[in-house]
Amino acid sequence: MLWILPALVLITSLILYPVAYAIWLSLFDKHSFFPAERWVGLGNYARIAGDAEFWDSLWKGVVYAGASTGLQLVLGLAAALVLHQAFRGRTAIRALVLFPYMIPTIVAVIVWRWLLNETYGVVDDVLLRLRLVREPVVWLGVDHMMASLIVVSVWQFTPFVVVSLLARLQTIPLELGEAARVDGASAWARFRHVTLPQLRAVLFVVVLLRSIWMFTKFDTVWLWGEGAGAGREIRTLPIYAYMRTFTYYQAGFGAALAVIMFLMLMAATLVYFRLFWGEEDAA
Amino acid sequence: MIGRRTLAAALSALVLVLSVALAEAADKKVIRLWQTETEPQTLAVLNQMAAEYEKTHPDVSVKIEGLAWGDLEKKLTAALAAGAPPDAAHGQPITCVSFAAKGLLRPVDDLADSIPKDNLVDAFRHLCQWNGKTYGVGHSPASSVFVYRKDLLAQKGLKVPRTWDELVQVAEALKEVRDGQVVRWGLTMTGQPLFINIAVGELLKTNGGRLFDAEGRPTLTEKPMLELLDFYKKLGRVLPPGWTGHSYLDTFANLANDKAAMLYQAYGRGVGYIEKYAAKEIADPDHFAVADKVVGPLGRTPAAQLDCEPWMVFKDAKGAPEAVDFLKFFFQDENYVPYLHSVPIHLLSIKKSTSRNPRYADNAMIRKWRPWVDMQEKYFRNDWIKPVLVTDWEDMKKPYLLEVMGSGILVDMVLDAVKGVPSAEAAARAQKRVEELLASSGYLKK
Repeated sequence: MLWILPALVLITSLILYPVAYAIWLSLFDKHSFFPAERWVGLGNYARIAGDAEFWDSLWKGVVYAGASTGLQLVLGLAAALVLHQAFRGRTAIRALVLFPYMIPTIVAVIVWRWLLNETYGVVDDVLLRLRLVREPVVWLGVDHMMASLIVVSVWQFTPFVVVSLLARLQTIPLELGEAARVDGASAWARFRHVTLPQLRAVLFVVVLLRSIWMFTKFDTVWLWGEGAGAGREIRTLPIYAYMRTFTYYQAGFGAALAVIMFLMLMAATLVYFRLFWGEEDAA
Repeated sequence: MIGRRTLAAALSALVLVLSVALAEAADKKVIRLWQTETEPQTLAVLNQMAAEYEKTHPDVSVKIEGLAWGDLEKKLTAALAAGAPPDAAHGQPITCVSFAAKGLLRPVDDLADSIPKDNLVDAFRHLCQWNGKTYGVGHSPASSVFVYRKDLLAQKGLKVPRTWDELVQVAEALKEVRDGQVVRWGLTMTGQPLFINIAVGELLKTNGGRLFDAEGRPTLTEKPMLELLDFYKKLGRVLPPGWTGHSYLDTFANLANDKAAMLYQAYGRGVGYIEKYAAKEIADPDHFAVADKVVGPLGRTPAAQLDCEPWMVFKDAKGAPEAVDFLKFFFQDENYVPYLHSVPIHLLSIKKSTSRNPRYADNAMIRKWRPWVDMQEKYFRNDWIKPVLVTDWEDMKKPYLLEVMGSGILVDMVLDAVKGVPSAEAAARAQKRVEELLASSGYLKK
């Protein structure tokens, strides 16, 4: 028992206590820095149910998480398959692919905001010179802010998918693919019936983790929209919870939003396990 | 080769010196001040000021931290929630009143009396008052200014716009297109939420409007506000299409780099951008001129936003008395003048006597950019200037302006209108949200 005590202390203090405190706080109407608080029970949750901003933020979060996770998977899988082949310079390319994941988020955001600036940015300059657009695209305006955020997020986090899938690809016995080739299977058939089943377990974990992390993503979203009125277009649920706590100064309401996010993710995870974990067992 | 005895002696001496230093540091009272002037030259002046103060107060260590203006409220909130606020800090005037109303601040009538009070610029003497006591003294006032390219207006035979409609017409006329691309926009404005809040307050005031009625209820569906939202829709034709994503500094860059001919919300520190980035032959107030803010259809006088963070001292801070003493030192001219000179066109004097001090006026930038200083001082004298979200000084008695500003509801309202939502609908939506915010926070009965 003594051996697991340090781990128990860490888990309790860093995970259980904050979650319990957030649930407790969500039952109060509490100002963020003024000490007074008032018991409201489930009152915050009732207000959230009727709050149009909450539903709007939830939708934006689903769009952001869904689109960015989907693109990360597709691009990550494609990149992993390419990097699994033998070619000259493969080692250097593999190292370069990791680069976006290694740089700090603030650096990535600052660089991309400059690249996509419609007045000074390189991207619009190239698009105009190639006559692909007739006027600069306002990537950071109300119309394209979500799309540009998704692009930056995919750029930043696809390497995680690449590394995870590449590691698994390298453990797939070569004989399986060779046997399929000898039997006359096409490249697509080999991918579908040999490679993909072998990747299923890793894909299960990667999809789960990336979805959770993109839905709860705060730093990239906040920095992308920070200082811009158009930031409202990417006001996902974590951002809205932060705003309710630190700019509306309603800590109880913000805690309730966080609890709701936690419960939604728990429910989604349970459904995901029920739907796909059984297939893993069967596989 | 160093001998063992020599090494031992050196190590002992080092340990002794470090111990003394640590002991001395432990005896010193550390006072922490947070402030929003982050330009390197201003921080250097403040650190020098702290060093000078410490020479005559060897038991005190002064730590001054610079925070970005937009981060101030968030950082203060987090510090208060953690029970660890600084000893003194800048704050928006509405932040100061909000904190005072919540009993978080120490009165600073002693600081104001040391200046003394009647030496403070009249318009800002009561910048942060609650229940008859002073809770904040402004560090330095500045006004937002309307800047235009005088040479470009003259080239096109245009007059300086005086009204909202004229602003749109002149901006349209100043737009320059080459090879099908806009190479210069007539007007630039920032889409940064804080500055949209500021613009709403200014524009509403210039249109004879108000944000709250006498009972403190929001009045967002009144005619002046609806006209303001219609005006924003018209501005969308003459502003760069990405303006909602342009920061405050982007607009200075647009103006200095000839990407825009007019800037509605400029500040004195923009002169630094002009001096650095504009072509040398035009980097002067004859080319980058200032004019009165434009007036709305229902308004009669211009209005501008006051940028003047009061120094606030936190009630429960351990170093509160020392912080007040340091601030008295701060306002002495031998320290105050170098501070103002660090950003001379932006940091103006809140003390009438300092404005008359020949040493203060003896500054090359102030001499060169005198029209910018004169325009701001004109707004101080005429009381055409108010803090963010304040359309009448009576609004300063409302303790919830900080929450309204932080919620971003007014920013969302403007963005709704800009995106095409009918003004009445955008205003009604915002009205409902502000009412819900104030009711849920206990400030208004439903």
